[in-house]
Amino acid sequence: MAQFLLETVWLVPCYALIGGLLAVPWSPGIVRRTGPRPAGYVNLIMTFFAFVHAALALRAIWNQPSYEISIPWLSTAGLNLSIDLEISSVSVGAMVVIAGLNLLAQIFALGYMEMEWGWARFYSLLGLFEAGLCALALCNNLFFSYVILEMLTLGTYLLVGFWFSQPLVVTGARDAFLTKRVGDLFLLMGVLAIWPIAGTWNYTELANWAATTNVNPTSIALVGLALVAGPMGKCAQFPLHLWLDEAMEGPVPSTILRNSVVVASGAWVLIKLQPVLSLSPIVSSAMVAIGVVTVFGASIIAIAQIDIKRCLSYSVSTYMGLVFIAVGTQQDEAALLLVLTHALCAALLVMSTGGIIWNSITQNVTQLGGLWSRRPMSGLAYIIGTLGLIGFPPLGSFWALLKLASGLWEIKPWLVGVIIAVNAFTAFSLTREFCLIFGGKPKPMSERSPEVHWPMVLPMMILLGFVLHLPLVLQSLSLLPSWASLNKNAALLLMWSSVFGCSISSVVYLSNIIPKPVRLPWKPLQDLIAYDFYTPKLYRMSIILSVDLLSKLADLVDRFVVDGFVNLVGLASIGSGERLKYITSGQTQFYAFTVLLGVGVFGMLVTWPHWGTQLLNMMF
Amino acid sequence: MQIQYFLLLSAALFCIGIYGLINSRNAVRVLMSIELLLNAVNLNLMAFSNYLDPTAIKGQVFTIFVLTVAAAEAAVGLAIVLAIYRNRDTVDMEQFNLLKW
Repeated sequence: MAQFLLETVWLVPCYALIGGLLAVPWSPGIVRRTGPRPAGYVNLIMTFFAFVHAALALRAIWNQPSYEISIPWLSTAGLNLSIDLEISSVSVGAMVVIAGLNLLAQIFALGYMEMEWGWARFYSLLGLFEAGLCALALCNNLFFSYVILEMLTLGTYLLVGFWFSQPLVVTGARDAFLTKRVGDLFLLMGVLAIWPIAGTWNYTELANWAATTNVNPTSIALVGLALVAGPMGKCAQFPLHLWLDEAMEGPVPSTILRNSVVVASGAWVLIKLQPVLSLSPIVSSAMVAIGVVTVFGASIIAIAQIDIKRCLSYSVSTYMGLVFIAVGTQQDEAALLLVLTHALCAALLVMSTGGIIWNSITQNVTQLGGLWSRRPMSGLAYIIGTLGLIGFPPLGSFWALLKLASGLWEIKPWLVGVIIAVNAFTAFSLTREFCLIFGGKPKPMSERSPEVHWPMVLPMMILLGFVLHLPLVLQSLSLLPSWASLNKNAALLLMWSSVFGCSISSVVYLSNIIPKPVRLPWKPLQDLIAYDFYTPKLYRMSIILSVDLLSKLADLVDRFVVDGFVNLVGLASIGSGERLKYITSGQTQFYAFTVLLGVGVFGMLVTWPHWGTQLLNMMF
Repeated sequence: MQIQYFLLLSAALFCIGIYGLINSRNAVRVLMSIELLLNAVNLNLMAFSNYLDPTAIKGQVFTIFVLTVAAAEAAVGLAIVLAIYRNRDTVDMEQFNLLKW
């Protein structure tokens, strides 16, 4: 039975896809009588099947060697495209995480989307996302990874644009699509450029090729940079990070998925490509540079936000930046571990704050407060999510960060400093959000704020349990370092930075020493961080401005030069006809004159050989 | 006497006729110019007949035909001029430009 489930594990993405398709009939335009709820239930059942199947298959493949399936897709002259699937404990494990988080997010959505008619659209898109992500986890082929990433980009557009009657949603969805699309297009350039060099798109073969190859450093650096640009947009790294901020306009349950899993899809491709990327030191340092800029920028921006969802979205960028640093320094395992722990904790944080938004309405943290005594479940989930995300032993991310830090301890000590600092910043921002929401005195918006009902609390509590059990799971998988090999200095530094960040933040926001709202001594700096380094303006002044001007210019050239030239031909014909008709003067004598003129000229031409040369000789 | 002089004279007469044909404002003078043209042609025919074909004198036969046809043509031409004159009370060629563009 287990063997059979393992052999058919490629069905997992299909379940989700079928679930997504089955949800469609309950669109308000098709089934008009029953309401949209069955769409959600059907999807939930299919996701449950997917989760159970993947979980059983994970047990079957544990400690087994991985194997590959290759399904031929297209075979033309000189090009054989086959869908390569890799069934390994890592890929099946990733599918378990994806399906599990999707299951929880869908249960959450049962509660959150209660007063909403668009379940069919929402759930079918969630199904599409789950299918895409599971397929990406299984896919062992760069080309098909790209295909799936593009489908997910389209899915993001539709899901962010769910409530399309709101103007900010429309612009947010537009930016999410275009920004990720730009990255994907660079990725396509890299994908196409690596074919003639390596001759394969299979990740395993690419790794084998990278181990032995000896290629031109310039070309591999360019290809590597293009391959990094795709995940850079997907993972919301600087400078392609604005979309994640604006994607917070979408519904909260989809945000759970996006913050935890979807952004990690770029990281997954990046990790899979690590052997190719490490061929070029330029690419590695570029990844580290992008990562460092993003972790600092995003973690500082997260401190200065007042929107409850945007506080969290920037910490997602931060953690994806840490993944970039890990991949840039060839630490795949730390990167994978970080993706796993971040996914669970980020999902928990978004669920907790989503529950707060649901019945406190405002998303402005400065208008919330004093919820701890009345919302203990959400508060507890937030605390555990925070502690799981920052370096706080024994919870998950501590081990991931520790692995990363101890890997860098010898080779690049300054990066350890970056990680420690960013950990402190993230601890500060998450604690600040906690203190503003749950601490202090109730504000008018949070005066009466009951705990949410069970469909939202249940997945939150289940996920809370997962986060708490994650260290035990990691230990049983022997993924935790032994006491002897533990880098105790790094561990202590991480712990102290977390404690430092949390305590300073609590002192600032819970005590009355500092007047609220907190003002930095220099106002422009505070604004600079709060407005995300004015990234929208930056985009508008650079790329958008130049593309806009260029397209206007092209439009003008098209309308006036190209069209003008063709119209000129017609106008010239009309005009010459209009002018030439006056030759028909109506004077008979003029006609006689033209007849004689014609005869004369023709006669001269015909007789030219008989007298023309003599005439010329006479004249010259 | 050589044939060239006759031919040159007839060419000069023809050219005078052309000038009159194109430049006259009076329609009757246009007809008169046409007569000049025809007579220039007749002179030509007669010269060729005398110098090149003195025995068969086919050119003179041609001339007779041209004279008779020219008479008939001038008659019809004057009839047309009269018909126009009745309608428009003028024989000025520059007034007859109704059939233009």
